[in-house]
Amino acid sequence: MVAPLVVALVGGGLALFVLGAVLAGLGKVPGRVVLGLAALLEVVVAVQVVWAVVSLVGGYRPAETLVVVFYLLGVLVVLPLVVAWSLAERTRWSNLVVAVGALTVMAMTARLDQMWRVTGG
Amino acid sequence: MVETTPAAEPGVTATGFGRVLVVLYAVMAVGACSRSAVQVSTRFGEAPIAYSLSAFAAVVYVLATVGLARRGPAARRLATIACTVELVGVLAVGTFTVAVPSDFPDATVWSLYGMGYVFIPLVLPVLGLWWLRRTRFAG
Repeated sequence: MVAPLVVALVGGGLALFVLGAVLAGLGKVPGRVVLGLAALLEVVVAVQVVWAVVSLVGGYRPAETLVVVFYLLGVLVVLPLVVAWSLAERTRWSNLVVAVGALTVMAMTARLDQMWRVTGG
Repeated sequence: MVETTPAAEPGVTATGFGRVLVVLYAVMAVGACSRSAVQVSTRFGEAPIAYSLSAFAAVVYVLATVGLARRGPAARRLATIACTVELVGVLAVGTFTVAVPSDFPDATVWSLYGMGYVFIPLVLPVLGLWWLRRTRFAG
């Protein structure tokens, strides 16, 4: 994985998680800041995934290639799905829904980065 | 007991906090399903029992997600059963993996009480059952 992108995703995911949780605690519904941050994070996720797919097509083979592919697909759809779900009913909990999605992206990115480094049997 | 609310309808679970719960369950369902699919398709022979259990846990998460996300008494019953099975499963497998460490490599989401998933598998069924109880009646 590309180190700056991993750092951006883990840091950004954590920031969005904290922000969403705090706003939920304050009883706010998701506004521009949360949704904007989620969109920004998704762009970084997409860049990372495209980079990874290009590397895989180019012949790079992590030990657990199949799992890596599952993770790449998963991490790409988490935020869009979670944001859609959170906007379908807009309450304070919508912010926590986005927060959970952000945490998921963070965890998946960290795990992905770990698996990406392990090559060979 | 005085029945003050005749024909009390079961409440909707996928609302308010319940929507957070559905997301948590969905994440666990997708995670457990993919993990299990990889285990069963690539190395099932290595640990058939552990990998069967892994697949079973994945199914339980899917059923709990569906049960909590949908409305109606059937969905509620499904969610209640799934959450109960999940709680029993995580406690049983968790205890077993602590007692007999070698027999279960970290092969299921329930191993070591779900430590590999920051104990979410242990907390989730408790939250799920609490939420189902809380939303038993509409209003």
